[in-house]
Amino acid sequence: MLRRVLRQLVLVLPTLLGVVTLVFAFLHLVPGDPVEIMLGESAAPADVAALRHDLGLDRPLPAQYARFLMRIAHGDLGRSIAFRAPVATVIGDRYPATLELAGAAFLLALSLAVPLGVLAAARAGSMLDRLTRIASLAGACLPSFWLGPLLILGFSIGLGWLPVSGRGGPLHLILPAVTLALGMMGVLVRLVRASMLEALGEDYIRTARAKGTPGWRVVAVHALRNALMPVTTVAGLQAGALLAGAILTETIFAWPGLGRLVVEAISARDYPLVQGCVLTIGVSYVTVNLVTDLVYQAIDPRLRDAD
Amino acid sequence: MVALASEPQSLDPRFGTDANSARLADLLHAGLTRPDAAAQRVPELAASWEFVDPTTVVFHLRSQFHFADGRPVTALDVQATYEAVLDPALASPKRMALTMISHIEAPDPATVVMKLRAPFAPFLDATGLGILPADRAREAGEVTLGAGPFRLLSVTPGDRLVLAPNPGYPEAPSRLDPLIVRIVPDEVVRSLELHRGTVQLTEDPPQPEMLEWLGAQPHLTVKRMPGTSFDYLALNLRDPRLADRRVREAIAASLDRESILRFVLGGAGRPASGLLAPEHWAFAAGRSPRHDPERARRLLDRAGYRDPDGPGPLPRFRLLYKTSNQPGARRLAEAIQAQLAAVGIALDVRTYEWGTLYADVRTGNFQVCALAWVGVGDPDLYYLAFDSTMRPPAGYNRGGYSNPVMDRLTRRGRQVLDPARRRTIYARVQRRAAHDLPVVPLWWEDRLVVHTRHLLGFEPAPDGNLRGLAAAWVE
Repeated sequence: MLRRVLRQLVLVLPTLLGVVTLVFAFLHLVPGDPVEIMLGESAAPADVAALRHDLGLDRPLPAQYARFLMRIAHGDLGRSIAFRAPVATVIGDRYPATLELAGAAFLLALSLAVPLGVLAAARAGSMLDRLTRIASLAGACLPSFWLGPLLILGFSIGLGWLPVSGRGGPLHLILPAVTLALGMMGVLVRLVRASMLEALGEDYIRTARAKGTPGWRVVAVHALRNALMPVTTVAGLQAGALLAGAILTETIFAWPGLGRLVVEAISARDYPLVQGCVLTIGVSYVTVNLVTDLVYQAIDPRLRDAD
Repeated sequence: MVALASEPQSLDPRFGTDANSARLADLLHAGLTRPDAAAQRVPELAASWEFVDPTTVVFHLRSQFHFADGRPVTALDVQATYEAVLDPALASPKRMALTMISHIEAPDPATVVMKLRAPFAPFLDATGLGILPADRAREAGEVTLGAGPFRLLSVTPGDRLVLAPNPGYPEAPSRLDPLIVRIVPDEVVRSLELHRGTVQLTEDPPQPEMLEWLGAQPHLTVKRMPGTSFDYLALNLRDPRLADRRVREAIAASLDRESILRFVLGGAGRPASGLLAPEHWAFAAGRSPRHDPERARRLLDRAGYRDPDGPGPLPRFRLLYKTSNQPGARRLAEAIQAQLAAVGIALDVRTYEWGTLYADVRTGNFQVCALAWVGVGDPDLYYLAFDSTMRPPAGYNRGGYSNPVMDRLTRRGRQVLDPARRRTIYARVQRRAAHDLPVVPLWWEDRLVVHTRHLLGFEPAPDGNLRGLAAAWVE
């Protein structure tokens, strides 16, 4: 197990390097100058030149890139140009909010999608199955910029039960988490249902039934375990996407997360901050992938044996 | 609770340049002077000032101001703050506006003497800089300790700032204790927060339709007052078609600004004749572009751009119109596109993310674009925007306009100290700009503020500052 994790970690490095290189290249291709945005239009050319020198932006691109990589290697993400603070601090201020929202949305989506998908597959063709399919399709199709305000209108304005926006206690988390979770849940429900239907048609299920295994056990133990493999893959990918910051949901609910920060950093051409955010997102993806791999092994003993 | 659309990037008066940084720094800090509704400088830390000679200004400080930590504000604090900003090592974006200062002295705790390199009439516009304690003025990090009506209690990045009254502020302490400023980027959600009463005020009003709805709510008040922001069409005069004054006049005459105002801003503005609004001390009433499509067609014919197929689909010529991807900017683009099409000018509209658009404007990579001057102060802006030497990066003359008469007038306007003579000079400047049309004036935007009826005593300011909160309270 440990060897597998280490192997994955070694493979991760070139991936992160590739991501960071691409972001570095794209950022410097996009028009716009952080120093001019920072100092304003009427800044003296000498001041612009001095600040550009301080920030290392007057060096050739390869030199800037090498300096950037060296800093990362030493755990230094640099200083945000717009916020005039260490990038790690700026990201550290926002990342907990993203983790909180993404975690809540992920747990909500998973805890509802799996039972609903299993039930729909076990009662395939029933009214419950049809309702679940329609609801999951709707969940997957509803855009958050529409769903979010609709939920606010219903639960915050109409019923007055929940806060409209912002980050605070658990009540503040409900609407953004539901908005974010519904899309993911819609996809997962359909996937769980399809995987379960496939698993339930397998020979080993027929054998289990012939041996007199109770119906619930056939579904919950024999079929579900096998059906969860593709679900784990998709859930892992979606969890990574959630950690990358749900820009629209964060904007609608005034949630101070990483997604909004990335947009602000790009607008200000804050190169160090954008690079820091992308690196954070990349590491998040990698971590989620590692966890997904571990979950695979927990579900499928053959993978453990392969180690 | 106040809602803002975006997070201020800095609460430090030495660094913040975005609108919300200025708004919040203005609550935390006090400057020597501040602008009134006519853009004239009025006392704040300085009780009075005088030009003892054309290059020496003496400020006499009031003794009642204290920083939020209880220390009195003295001339040494003023000197240290200005010297810090002037130090290139600090890389302050405010430095350029102060470079006319050659030397600052503090002969006693209540007197500041500023020596200028040359007579410079707009100098007082630079004296709004928030003053920091002398021992902190050179810190590279963010300093929020000031002598304004509020002090900062806490910041939750991206979410909220909590302020409390500054006991050292000479006027009666604010009854808003605490004052919470929340960042709510989505305009619909800001409106819903107001509707529910969880936010009491926003200075960033939504689109006209939503504003109408808010105005109809019994517990909300929409306040409108004349503003100082000037919206205009920037034209690149390096393009041979736009270099022709007749074409620029035709563009101005083709626009029905009243109807566009209604469509884009719900009527919250006044068609403009130039940079300075009628409330400005240097405003001179003058010629304002009049909607006259027939005249526009005649002007274009005379300029040699005849319509190839009359009322047919072929245009006289095409222009590229660049704008930001904000909803209001897109609506404006559509309206202008339709009205120019009526006189035979085809407009290709391209929307860009702000950083990209700004870079194009700076480098002159545009033909037509809609821009705005927010919070117009001293009329010296005419020099920065229209003097032939003020093309970027030196100034704001992005369209490359050049006229020796304008150059002479605007340069004279920054040297003459007598306000009456300056008013005369700028009256001529305004007439020249109205004739030459280096930009096409659109309108002066009204200030719109929405607040709950529970918020009492709040008076909005023409430039959108939030100082009115110091005298406000919630019932």
